Amino acid sequence: MILARHADALFWVGRYLERTEATVRCLDYAANSIIHLRPEEARVEIEQLVKTLGLESVAALAGSLEGRRQLFSFLLSDTGNPGSVLSAVGAVRQKLRSTRERIPIELWEEANGLYLRFREFGDSGLPSERLHEILLMVRRACLAISGVLNEGMRRDEGYAFIVVGRMIERSVFTVGLLVAGYTDPRGSMDATRMLRLTSSLQAYHRRHGHAPDPEGVVRYLLFATDLPRSLQSCLLRAEACLTDIGAGAGALDRSRRKAGLLRARLELGEIEEAMVQGPVPVLSTLHWDLAELASEIAVEVVPPLDFPTVRSQYLRPGEGSAGAGAAAGSASGGPGPRTGPALAAP
Amino acid sequence: MAESLPGPGGGLLDGYEPARGFDEAFEPDGSARGAYRRIVERFGELDSGELRRLERLVADEFRRQGITFTVYSDEEGTERIWPMDLFPRLIAAAEWDELDRGLTQRVTALNCFLEDLYAGEGAAIADGVVPRWLVVSSGGFERNAMGIPAPHGARCNVAGIDVVRDGDGRHRVLEDNLRNPSGISYVIENRAAMAKACSWLFYDHAAQPVDQYGRMLRSTLESMAPDGRSSPHVVVLTPGIFNSAYFEHAFLARSMGVELVEGRDLVVDDGTVYARTIEGLIAVDVIYRRVDDSFLDPVAFRPDSMLGVPGLLGALRAGTVTVCNAIGNGAADDKAVYPYVPDLIRYYLGDEPIIDNVPTYVMWDPDQRAEALGRLGELVAKPVGGSGGAGVLIGPQADEQELEAARAAIEADPRNWITQETVQLSSLPSFGGERLEPRHVDLRPFVLTGERTEVFPGGLTRVAMRRGSLIVNSSAGGGSKDTWVLAPEYS
Repeated sequence: MILARHADALFWVGRYLERTEATVRCLDYAANSIIHLRPEEARVEIEQLVKTLGLESVAALAGSLEGRRQLFSFLLSDTGNPGSVLSAVGAVRQKLRSTRERIPIELWEEANGLYLRFREFGDSGLPSERLHEILLMVRRACLAISGVLNEGMRRDEGYAFIVVGRMIERSVFTVGLLVAGYTDPRGSMDATRMLRLTSSLQAYHRRHGHAPDPEGVVRYLLFATDLPRSLQSCLLRAEACLTDIGAGAGALDRSRRKAGLLRARLELGEIEEAMVQGPVPVLSTLHWDLAELASEIAVEVVPPLDFPTVRSQYLRPGEGSAGAGAAAGSASGGPGPRTGPALAAP
Repeated sequence: MAESLPGPGGGLLDGYEPARGFDEAFEPDGSARGAYRRIVERFGELDSGELRRLERLVADEFRRQGITFTVYSDEEGTERIWPMDLFPRLIAAAEWDELDRGLTQRVTALNCFLEDLYAGEGAAIADGVVPRWLVVSSGGFERNAMGIPAPHGARCNVAGIDVVRDGDGRHRVLEDNLRNPSGISYVIENRAAMAKACSWLFYDHAAQPVDQYGRMLRSTLESMAPDGRSSPHVVVLTPGIFNSAYFEHAFLARSMGVELVEGRDLVVDDGTVYARTIEGLIAVDVIYRRVDDSFLDPVAFRPDSMLGVPGLLGALRAGTVTVCNAIGNGAADDKAVYPYVPDLIRYYLGDEPIIDNVPTYVMWDPDQRAEALGRLGELVAKPVGGSGGAGVLIGPQADEQELEAARAAIEADPRNWITQETVQLSSLPSFGGERLEPRHVDLRPFVLTGERTEVFPGGLTRVAMRRGSLIVNSSAGGGSKDTWVLAPEYS
């Protein structure tokens, strides 16, 4: 059993964790690439990064982001930017704090420790000359958190919601990156850049063994089954987790179907076929579909209270349908009929 | 005054002068008491630099884990790292045995009184043990709880009884906390931090472990399920992450393996409480609530409460759920009722109290009031509704203006004041930055009652961080100490 509020919080833990990692990758890339660019080229690169992260409207409110320093501040420590690393780390900490009793202690300690290390920089902001050090610190903490999640957390509904959140956020980023790549004002898609921004360069080389070409990279990022960051891999994992969550009580059925349909369209070639005609509309629709899937999950996790419809679901743990009873028991670990099989590892 | 002690080696205890009153660690002649002999030796081997390093280790550990408490009046922010002094409090086996029996006796009598008051015939009141008007005028008395019985007659399932030692070394109860006593999580975290930082201190002491609290509490709460249901669904109800004790609420839920819910996670329909889960609504049997009475149910109590569960009282009355601790326990831990607790022990149990009260005077009694006001400078005056040391006047440390203000306040509202003889709290060596110095301490043991009453070994030792101060509350700058109950052979 998992409280609806906890499910919602852990789903967002997954999203914010993934967002933190994505933003750190973008910052790392920017820190290494922009120094070699002329000012007007740097400006375009900055705009592309902001677009990839889906932060155009927030950036417009934040004012000019023409310089490196402003970009770093915006993406790293601007608390007005919900996508900044500091905002995302703070959100992870707060969501974990509100679910503290059901997550491994080490998970909370790592997230809390990262947040506190950020706070040590004080109100004066994060020094941009220490950017690499800070990014390394965040990357290591994220790896530690992933390690605790993978090796230390029980495979229950809470774990599944974190993974679903991560997979959806990762999918949104990958598709956003491709849309931004296809609409790059510089004219051509930089295949190496796409791979770097998804930490997939090495994997691509191992798989294909030649210099990346744009078409091959797009296919790799969308369809590769050996790449955990490909859209197909993400949707497979999200669907598996949603299936596990729903196995007990029929919860999140619409979300599971939606994820399954998206995955099937990829798997059966519908997306690939449509992209021949024009990739941008197809990817934009995909982007929209992913946002809808996230909204669907939020609605199904915290449904509006409607007594006439939920009355039939009233049950005491151990009573009613075996499935519901088993699912209720799976989280509480209670004896008798409340004990059910733990969710399978996605 | 006792003589200064010669340092046993490392210099931390050089010049240690026991404070006035009873020193827990040292005899009046300056020798270490039996239970403390080894600890004194071991601390004697340290220097101040090493102790500072260990303190930093512990503080870092608390900080990393987010073991904090909130000071609402603090403009700086809300969360502070939990302060712990490394010199532990030791309780010898025989001493603990007396405390165990005394606390069990006291909480048993208080539970009898509460059940008698709310679900019985009010026999103690009818027989004149406690004045009716005093009980029903208590801010903690709750008419809405009348007629709602508690399983096993246990209305106070978790009690925190504040115990001090007077100048003669006798334990006395200073205060009963029967509503939502907090602090148990810090007891357990203090031990965990001590074990990490100073494991070598534990050798040769066989201190009783403290990590079984979650199991004890869950078993107590499960025994409170309505109709003796097996495998009941237990939850912990918290006001939320901004509450000062949120850390503890999460800690307790985790150590029991149950859900930590907020009011918005629960709904009541058809007289039953349900938790909102992704599977729909799941019935709840026992709620260990850490929300005050007045916020529990906006239908019955404060209508502006966003922390409670509308209709909860109806479910309680229907007998479908148990709320622990029960509603209305404030009637028994009201400071104006406290002077009657020894009589309640005699009335319900037929025994003499094992642990006495601190001599207390009720200000509604004209004779006692007149005498107390005449020597207020020697007494402690407490508003009966205060907590955390708020509004307390310590006569010997007050100036004439403060005394005059307290006299006026007492005269204006005598029902809501008591005065007590000033107890020179006992003291323990505590680290003052350079060396160990005496600091006053109290003790809050925790008593669990379900089918039976059990005292959790040890408790929370609170320590005043300034020399001579009697204020031990963490919200007023106090700290804490790990508390060891020793095996008989090490006592």
